[in-house]
Amino acid sequence: MTSLLFKTATRLILPLSLLFAAFMSFKGHNAPGGGFIGGLIASVALWLFAMAHGRDALIALVPVHPRVVVGFGLLIALATAALPLLWGYPLLHSFAIDNFLGLGLHLVTAFFFDFGVMLVVIGVSTGMIQRLSEEVPDESTGLEGDLA
Amino acid sequence: MTNRWIVLMVLLPLLTGVLSTPIVARLRLSRVLGVVGLSATLIAGLLLLNNATSEQAGGILVSQMGGWAAPYGISLVFDTFSGLMLCAAAAVTLCGYVAALGTLDRTVERRYFHPLMHFMLAGVNLSFLTGDLFNLFVAFEIMLMASYGLLCLAGGEAQLRQAYKYVLLNLLASALFVIAAGLVYGMFGTLNLADLMRIVRETSEQGEALPTGFTAVSVVLLTVFGLKAAIFPLWFWLPDAYPTMPVPLLAVFGGVLTKVGVYVIARTFPPIFAAGEAAEVIVPILLTAAALTMVLGAIMAVAYRRLRAVLCMFVIVGVGFALAGVAVGGETGLAGAAFYMTQSMIVAALSFLVCGQIENRVGSDDIDDAGQFSWYRAAPWLAVVGFVLAMTLVGLPPLSGFYGKLWVVQAAFTGPDETPGHSVWWLGLAGLVAGTITLLAALRWWTGVFWLGREDQTEEPPATQPASTGPRSLTLAVALLLAASLWMGVAAEPVLALAKDAGTNLADPQRYITAVLQPETTEPSYASTHGTTTPANDQAHRASPSTPEHHAQDSTPPATHADDRFGPNHPIRLRGGH
Amino acid sequence: MTAVLAICVAVTFAVSVYLLLGRELKAVAMGVFLISHAANLSILAMSGSPILPTPDPELGITKRPPISDYDFDGALRHGDIAAPLDVMVDPLPQALILTAIVIGFAVMGFVLTLLVATSRKVQTLDVDELATGEKRHDPVERPAADGTVQGGAA
Repeated sequence: MTSLLFKTATRLILPLSLLFAAFMSFKGHNAPGGGFIGGLIASVALWLFAMAHGRDALIALVPVHPRVVVGFGLLIALATAALPLLWGYPLLHSFAIDNFLGLGLHLVTAFFFDFGVMLVVIGVSTGMIQRLSEEVPDESTGLEGDLA
Repeated sequence: MTNRWIVLMVLLPLLTGVLSTPIVARLRLSRVLGVVGLSATLIAGLLLLNNATSEQAGGILVSQMGGWAAPYGISLVFDTFSGLMLCAAAAVTLCGYVAALGTLDRTVERRYFHPLMHFMLAGVNLSFLTGDLFNLFVAFEIMLMASYGLLCLAGGEAQLRQAYKYVLLNLLASALFVIAAGLVYGMFGTLNLADLMRIVRETSEQGEALPTGFTAVSVVLLTVFGLKAAIFPLWFWLPDAYPTMPVPLLAVFGGVLTKVGVYVIARTFPPIFAAGEAAEVIVPILLTAAALTMVLGAIMAVAYRRLRAVLCMFVIVGVGFALAGVAVGGETGLAGAAFYMTQSMIVAALSFLVCGQIENRVGSDDIDDAGQFSWYRAAPWLAVVGFVLAMTLVGLPPLSGFYGKLWVVQAAFTGPDETPGHSVWWLGLAGLVAGTITLLAALRWWTGVFWLGREDQTEEPPATQPASTGPRSLTLAVALLLAASLWMGVAAEPVLALAKDAGTNLADPQRYITAVLQPETTEPSYASTHGTTTPANDQAHRASPSTPEHHAQDSTPPATHADDRFGPNHPIRLRGGH
Repeated sequence: MTAVLAICVAVTFAVSVYLLLGRELKAVAMGVFLISHAANLSILAMSGSPILPTPDPELGITKRPPISDYDFDGALRHGDIAAPLDVMVDPLPQALILTAIVIGFAVMGFVLTLLVATSRKVQTLDVDELATGEKRHDPVERPAADGTVQGGAA
């Protein structure tokens, strides 16, 4: 698992995978793809990276605590779902934006929901890998509160 | 009537949970946030219940997620039955939470106790609200995922030894649920509960047969829900897994989680899965399971020597009574079940918290140990509370346990439609027998703890015994729940009226079907916000030009019910191609 | 295609039931993961092929996506394919499967963590030993459950 070839390859694969993950989550509204798939692709890349370079390298790469990523993602998703309530629409109502930020990009607000989902998936899976790949068994209790 | 605010019952706990995730290490902030969030949920529930019973709402509030019309999107339905459950669940969770703040160890509290509690309430509330079979699965999973976490929260050896039983059994049940939901979709082409009710009702009215294998799916679903509700013979995990938890969590689990299973059976079985041909198989199973759950649960409550296990068996007896009401059916039976479940949530939570107070004094939940303590000197009021509690569990008249049991037993003797031939007298008899044994069990633990041991005592209790029955937050929670329980007994009128309405709704699902499938279009449709031209209804579309192949297919209407579901005024709102 | 799927479902179920009956908690957990996969596959099998041209003679139901009959653009979007929505597979079962997979993913993470915690704390993953709290006397020497988790990541 620590061969030079593997290490070098994962360094190259990681940015490409993250780009592909972003692509998948953008095209997700009308075509196969979406936030969950994008998140999974990104986490597979991060898992590979952790396998090649070790858990500490992953923590150095993603310095944010997983629970913050999860919380932030959930908050974005929840806000996107709940904000239409204030304007008289039901929960999860989606609006289309024809020219997003003047970029000529057609977006629906459901994209932001997907983006939140992507963050949650990335946060959960990096938390999982960090927690499960811990080498030292915790003596005091099997379930320590902190994920990392 | 459409009311988009009913999602608040899910949103508020969810939002509180999300907000308390990053601040999990900051206990004071988490606690304030938690109490505010749970109180807001309870208040929202009471306001919505008030709104639902108003004249123009007609008892049922509906919200279609994302504005998608009923059989396609996810519907959330708030009627008197789910409203009662939602309010009771929010109240019980709030009290359990308040009690936990004083009793839980701080290191345990930091292990995501706050978010897990809120997420569990969100899952519970979504299971009460949802009008869609698959969404129910999702709600169950949210609830169970949080409950797995809470079950292992303390991380002790005893908990871990029992946790896998609860977790793996529920995972197995979830897999069965997914299969059953897939089968239902394969048979009917819909998972919307109201649509399923409509199809089943219309099929039986036309004298046609339901799809092959419908009964088998019903049995699978009964297994899934029965495991959650802990009915006989699927209760074995409950007295093993529950007593390992800290008392406040035990109160919430014992009070709320089993009731979710019974609620789902009450919601889906009488109008859908125990209707038509399935009734011949399912109804006898339900009746027998209810009778055995009541009687055997009561007998086991007499047998156990540990107070937590005894109270767990009381929870199971309560499940049996509620299930009996559901199984008999009819307005009285279902109303009895609705009232009994509401009351039983509160009383079960109260009983576990009182058990916690006894443990705080004695240091164990063994009835013999507790009997060695001189209660008359140290805490006579706890003996009084215990007596009121024991009599409420039995269901003596001035107390709240009475009305639910009365209606259930009455319905069993008279039969669902009050025709002499349909009487299920043996179930009523089982209910009375179970009630008698429950009295024995309740007196046994009450006298064992508070009355009998004292005489053998030769000397005064040593001063090393804990001086109090626990922190003030526990006392506050007990007081609140006791007040609610007494209020439901002495001034039961409003709750009884709600339960009566819930029973009427459940016995005749037509109001539910109409409310969900044909909502007034007070909310802006998708088309108007997107500016796309969407056909207003089926007829308009059919008249539009299309290919010959299309016509050929349209001219041979398939026998599916899918075509009946669009009334002329039923808007189909779908996204046009972007 | 349905036959292949049916065989897959049957084999997956058989393997998972075999694993579920094992004594080692790791095997039981694998069995639970597999049974959820089997459930997802069975939904896929049930969603079936695209629309039947005529109603199914036994069930009286034309299996088709609930939205397929309605062509909202009023125009064909894919050239010479006669009715594009009519060759579409019902998307709803796939949405259900995706949801179930997501949930299964989360649950798998939790169960693995639970197993790690249990093996560290209780020093065994044997179902009988967990239930009774006693070491089982086994005539055949087994690899000791010393709390090490084999196959752990990285």
